[in-house]
Amino acid sequence: MILLQPHSRFLLQTLLNRVQNLEKAVELDYHWVEFDDVRYHVQVSMKNPNVLLLSVSLPIPPPETVFLGGLPFGAIEAIKASYGVIVQILDPPRDGFNLTLKLNLSKLPPDEEFRHSLLVKIASVREVVLGAPLRLVLKHLATRTVAPDMDQLLALVHRPNESFFLVPQAEKVTVVYPMRFKDSIDTSLATSFLQEFVEARRTAALNNAPPCLWSPTPPQELKEAPAYALSANAGFVSFVIFPRHVEGKKLDRTVWNLSTFHAYVNYHVKCSEGFMHTRMRRRVESLIQALDRAKPDLEEKKKSPNSRSFKRLSLKEAKANSKS
Amino acid sequence: MASTLRLYLTCIRNTLEAALCLQNFPCQEVERHNKPEVELKTSPELLLNPILICRNESEKCLIETSINSLRISLKVKQADELENILTKKFLRFLSMRAEAFQVLRRKPIQGYDISFLITNYHCEEMQKQKLIDFIVQFMEDIDKEISELKMSVNTRGRLVATEFLKQFI
Repeated sequence: MILLQPHSRFLLQTLLNRVQNLEKAVELDYHWVEFDDVRYHVQVSMKNPNVLLLSVSLPIPPPETVFLGGLPFGAIEAIKASYGVIVQILDPPRDGFNLTLKLNLSKLPPDEEFRHSLLVKIASVREVVLGAPLRLVLKHLATRTVAPDMDQLLALVHRPNESFFLVPQAEKVTVVYPMRFKDSIDTSLATSFLQEFVEARRTAALNNAPPCLWSPTPPQELKEAPAYALSANAGFVSFVIFPRHVEGKKLDRTVWNLSTFHAYVNYHVKCSEGFMHTRMRRRVESLIQALDRAKPDLEEKKKSPNSRSFKRLSLKEAKANSKS
Repeated sequence: MASTLRLYLTCIRNTLEAALCLQNFPCQEVERHNKPEVELKTSPELLLNPILICRNESEKCLIETSINSLRISLKVKQADELENILTKKFLRFLSMRAEAFQVLRRKPIQGYDISFLITNYHCEEMQKQKLIDFIVQFMEDIDKEISELKMSVNTRGRLVATEFLKQFI
């Protein structure tokens, strides 16, 4: 799986299970965490088996982002637009969560396909809520306008206490990500990955993709950003989004890919490290085999059944014995 | 470039063949102790001249011999930041498994990336030629592994970037 999927697989599975066994009354109370500190809580009680309560907690927003009532601006409208009457927003949300939704599962549409796509959309609640401000800006870009009273430089949260920046204009939107990593190995791997982004954009096949730039210092779009937001150990990545990237069906994909860019890079850095470990372990095994070839005694062993001779074990055999 | 590698490895192989003549030698200072003299360096009459074989400024090999032990220290080429990190990670991975390798030293000598310590006991257990083959193969494998790791990082980076950007077309 190279790309991150917008719907939460566990949430989708839970919803599908519940919907298929609507007659059976069960008690459900699940808590789980997903990448970048997004927490979910699902609750179904025996008394009302048709009602499912879904609570979502978002990453802590840094001071420069705008959160109204605990949610990014435009989130409530986005929820109403995507889910319609099936979902009711509970006010106030559950303790410790930013949003609680009440789903009435008996009111789901009867058509199989429509029902499934609606459940997938509910499982993508993270994309709907966190991506709401970005979606608003990009929708205006598709009509080549700018939303009324929009700031010059917009900060949106994507990780706990960290944000990325948007410069919305009528003909294009520039998105700038300060990339931060805790580990120095992660930072070097990420830097080489990010430079590949710039290189890959130059190939002919990707001419229509958004232009991509990387710089170790803050680019000039971030002139007015607060100082603490400007330190990034793996540099700054900028994408320039044009109206052709957000027309029609592409809007959803673009919103998801841009909201989770940092998570995407982080995910692949970790995969890379895991792969390197596997390779190194394989190399160690092959080197030890080469060393074992240097020992002559292990090859010539003629054991007669009655003799009690001690065989000097090679490392592999010693390990196998200790395991059994 | 490949030709200097062959020369470098041949030189190291010849030096090791000459230097790997180790015999048991109990410690002169302390009774009933038997220590690798190359590590202690207390008695100059038991030590031979150390030999430094340089391939270029960034790659070299130091071979120090004594009567009962031999120490080989290698410095591996690190062209950029990424290779630096990969080399450190890989060699640390190997050094932590020094017990499995028997002839590897847990910590490299100051100024080098990895070190071997071969004692007379190792020479008694293993054939000298095959031991030298192992050391030379080890050096080739390190180079190969580092460049393959670097290439895998670059390939993965290219793939990741292409998949991401394709989503926008």
